[in-house]
Amino acid sequence: MNHRSSNETPAVGRLSVARVKARRFGQCALVATGAIALLGSCATNAPQDTWQPKGPNAKMIDDLQQPVFAVAGIIGIIVSVAVAYVIWRYKDRGQPIPEQTHGKPALEITLTVIPALILAVVGVFTFRVIFDLARTDDTQLVINVTGQQWWWEYDYPVQNEWGITQPIISSGQLVMPAGTKVLLRETSRDVIHSYWIPALNGKRDAVPGRIHTLRLEADEPGIYAGQCTEFCGLSHANMRMEAVALSKEDFARWIANQQAAYQAPAEGTLAKEGEAVFLNQCVRCHQVDGLKRPDGTLAIAAPDENVWSGAAPNLTKLMTRNTFAGAMFDLLRDACRDDVWKADSAEFGVKYLAGVDEACLNVNDLRAWLRNAPEVKPMYANPALLTETNGKYRGMPNLGLSESDIDKLVAYLLTLK
Amino acid sequence: MAIIERPAPGTTVPALTPAAPAITPSRTYGALRRPVATTGWKSWLFTVDHKKLGLMYGATALFFFIVGGLEAVLIRLQLAAPDGKVLNADLYNQMFTMHATTMVFLFVMPMAAGFANYFVPLQIGARDVAFPRINAFGFWCLLAGGIVVNLAWFLGGAADGGWFMYAPNSGPVFSPSKGVDFWTLGLQIAGIASLTGAINLIVTVLNMRAPGMTLMKMPVFTWMITVVQFLLLFAVPVITVALFLLTFQRSFGAQFFDVAAGADPLLWQHLFWIFGHPEVYILILPSFGIISEVLPVFSRKPLFGYPFVVFSGAAIGFVGWGVWAHHMFASGLGPVSVAVFSLATMAIAVPTGVKIINWTLTMWGGKLVFTTAMKFAIGLVVLFTIGGLSGVTHSVAPSDTQQTDTYYIVAHFHYVLFGGAIFGIFSGFYYWWPKMFGKMLNERLGSWNFWLMVIGMNMTFGPMHILGLQGQPRRMYVWTEARAGEGFFNLGFWNLIASIGSLILTVGIGLFLINVVVTARSKVRAPLDPWNARSLEWMTSNPPKEHNFDSIPHVHHLDEFFHRKYEEDPTTHSMREVASAEDVLAELERNADQHIHMPSPSYWPLVLACGMPFVALGVIYSIPVAIAGGLIMLYALYGWALEPSTAPESDFDAPSSNGHAVGASHG
Repeated sequence: MNHRSSNETPAVGRLSVARVKARRFGQCALVATGAIALLGSCATNAPQDTWQPKGPNAKMIDDLQQPVFAVAGIIGIIVSVAVAYVIWRYKDRGQPIPEQTHGKPALEITLTVIPALILAVVGVFTFRVIFDLARTDDTQLVINVTGQQWWWEYDYPVQNEWGITQPIISSGQLVMPAGTKVLLRETSRDVIHSYWIPALNGKRDAVPGRIHTLRLEADEPGIYAGQCTEFCGLSHANMRMEAVALSKEDFARWIANQQAAYQAPAEGTLAKEGEAVFLNQCVRCHQVDGLKRPDGTLAIAAPDENVWSGAAPNLTKLMTRNTFAGAMFDLLRDACRDDVWKADSAEFGVKYLAGVDEACLNVNDLRAWLRNAPEVKPMYANPALLTETNGKYRGMPNLGLSESDIDKLVAYLLTLK
Repeated sequence: MAIIERPAPGTTVPALTPAAPAITPSRTYGALRRPVATTGWKSWLFTVDHKKLGLMYGATALFFFIVGGLEAVLIRLQLAAPDGKVLNADLYNQMFTMHATTMVFLFVMPMAAGFANYFVPLQIGARDVAFPRINAFGFWCLLAGGIVVNLAWFLGGAADGGWFMYAPNSGPVFSPSKGVDFWTLGLQIAGIASLTGAINLIVTVLNMRAPGMTLMKMPVFTWMITVVQFLLLFAVPVITVALFLLTFQRSFGAQFFDVAAGADPLLWQHLFWIFGHPEVYILILPSFGIISEVLPVFSRKPLFGYPFVVFSGAAIGFVGWGVWAHHMFASGLGPVSVAVFSLATMAIAVPTGVKIINWTLTMWGGKLVFTTAMKFAIGLVVLFTIGGLSGVTHSVAPSDTQQTDTYYIVAHFHYVLFGGAIFGIFSGFYYWWPKMFGKMLNERLGSWNFWLMVIGMNMTFGPMHILGLQGQPRRMYVWTEARAGEGFFNLGFWNLIASIGSLILTVGIGLFLINVVVTARSKVRAPLDPWNARSLEWMTSNPPKEHNFDSIPHVHHLDEFFHRKYEEDPTTHSMREVASAEDVLAELERNADQHIHMPSPSYWPLVLACGMPFVALGVIYSIPVAIAGGLIMLYALYGWALEPSTAPESDFDAPSSNGHAVGASHG
């Protein structure tokens, strides 16, 4: 096709071609408008929506970014309209080849300076927010957060003003008081992970060998979803977390319960048999504070002998949490879960602190997990493939438990409240 | 072919010059006699011709484009529905790692290298690049590197650490398969292609321009390629060092990124992104160059603000070195670093915006012809603008901490790299195809190709903005309904739309491949100057003769070819044709140079490059194999060093009769 021949197209043919093209352009414009309208349609109540801040830190980010998005959108529309206009206005309708102009420096400089000025304004506000979000001098509560393939550990150091008189170690759900400036001190035991609760703040990487801080504050009691956002290997997709904000009174109750003494199951119950299975199988890696062996000595887990990264989730008060296995699975059945997640902020605390009972336990996922953990969550737990780690697991192995052992264990785990 | 004979004036030269009389070199160099084949597969294997190498780069890149594209389709099939079962976690992690690696290192970079190889010498009126054998060596390194990286698929699994390969996840404990070893060593080999290519093209552009072609009369494509080569020259050594550290850690027990031994894992991130961010401009600037050629041609106007476009390209090249940490806003650098890199990132938006404005104003007041090449170019302007603007939102660091590592980022860089780099490359295909193959790609198929790619691309990557802003992280082998939200337009809906879009995109790209086949089978030859083009590469036959130009043109204008065809009407200031392309060419032929001496083919670049995969495999499996590879390389280096770049006449038993003088000197 030689486009220079278009000069010789008869005038009539050219016009009709132009009309067809114009109609086609109109159709395209219609489709484009529809597409943009469609693109404006978003999910409602997406748990990790970055445009639904629920605390002052996320709000600060949101207030900064909304005008930037708006300006970017306007500029995008201006450029698109300009290009569309040029396409329509200057298409080849047989006009002569234009004068070979090489540009207009004054116009160029103007069009360079305008975006530079816009960005300078954005820069000033960005600067302020960066430094505000880095503050650590107004902290009211410190929680240590440690990432490990593929779960998060929360460690509450002693802080008497909050009633924390002995360290509390938990996992899966970060429990914190609402309306309080919480400072997370993040690190990792193996690879880099990233802690992200979009409703409360942006993300911060948890890097082994370093401690990074992240401010979190929730306006209202409630449950806020998050996800590890630095690629951390095989089960990165399954490394979730939830931040649970409680009123200060409820938080005090939670603290008190976490520090309460261990209640051994009554003799002769299925749960008591489960405790024996736990002592036999699980305690190698999983700590339950206060659990004693039959000879009366405290059972101390030694995960570092079995797990490459050196730890396994502490299961003390497991049933006060709503999730297990790195928040991949719910401990609550769907209906019970919805009851907690959708509770309004006044009722939320009571429902959350009720924990998990037998009626609400998501027994299917829990049993599947106990039956063969690496089957439901990809992990490097195959002993045949562990030469690089000297035989140590990364994640929970298949323990080969019998169904009756699983019955007993489930009964026992239900007592950990 | 060692020596090019000038065609007799007035005769039209067929596309492929007939084989020269059979002559054999009388001397061996190193251990081998020089190759002499001028046709057949040997002429490709041992060629040092920049055009043949350009095509080989292009064909290799296109192959890897298909591979990387199929990987992308598998990714999208896996994510079309919650809890996907198409791939398991391990395979998915390999897939996204290799998709990015393939597209960045084995498609966009070599494709740009292919265009640069083919067209930079033609655009500056040269007969070849400065170092033709090094050019050949570069291509074979790229091919060897690509093969090594992908070999891992068949030897226990490909790399699975993401293309950014963050430490310590890339260490032997956390990535126990050999995939990462193949990845580091393969990229190391492919990196040699980039480094040697960069030096070669810089020397070529600085030293071998036609008389009269000052730097500010150079076509913008050549300008952008030059900027890219400087970026490569300084960026590739950084990744080379990083890859060596990783290889030593994985294969020889070094502890550069071992936290237990006191290492800081952020060292890798800094090294990777000091390379990685200039790399982004390495990927995009060639396409900026291509459309800066295409838009003026089909607007029948010179590029608006040529010096602004050139200097903004150079400015991007400079500022591009000061923004790497914007990939690390969530890494914990501290507020001062974050603030500085945030502002630098905003600054780089300015020269990029300048380019968008100039392209739009180039079309303003023009006489626009909507060929497929032009459509892709306009597509780039619009789609890149969207990607650029979402990029500006990332420069606001606090905002970026919400967006980074979500699908919003995936959307952003696909608008920039697919809507930008790949649309530019496709524009280049349609624009330069007649130049490279003497046949026009079918414009009707081209139009379908374009529209399906536009629709597919927007359907695939548009929804990812929503997915990311509503909280879907990237690099997850499954997504769960529990985090997908409610309503008809929940994240599941948008994931499905994106997956359907990827299939449309596949069909669009499939049409291009069909177009290539249809065109290859067509008997219709392209006209000499099908687009009414403006720059020197069109001032020769389609495809060009081996020596490119019968006589080296003297350059007086930017857009020299156009100004030989048109003159300004002093009253109306519109342009009128004073000479056809054929006239211009005939004029060049009349003044043809008498003695054209071209660089001669050589075995050594291929032999040298062949040693490298053995070294790589040896490092992974067994050191003696590496030593054998090293010996092959040593042997090739000797052969290469002893062999003159241009075969002297005395080297041949039967020099042709008309007597040749050594012309242009080639290294």
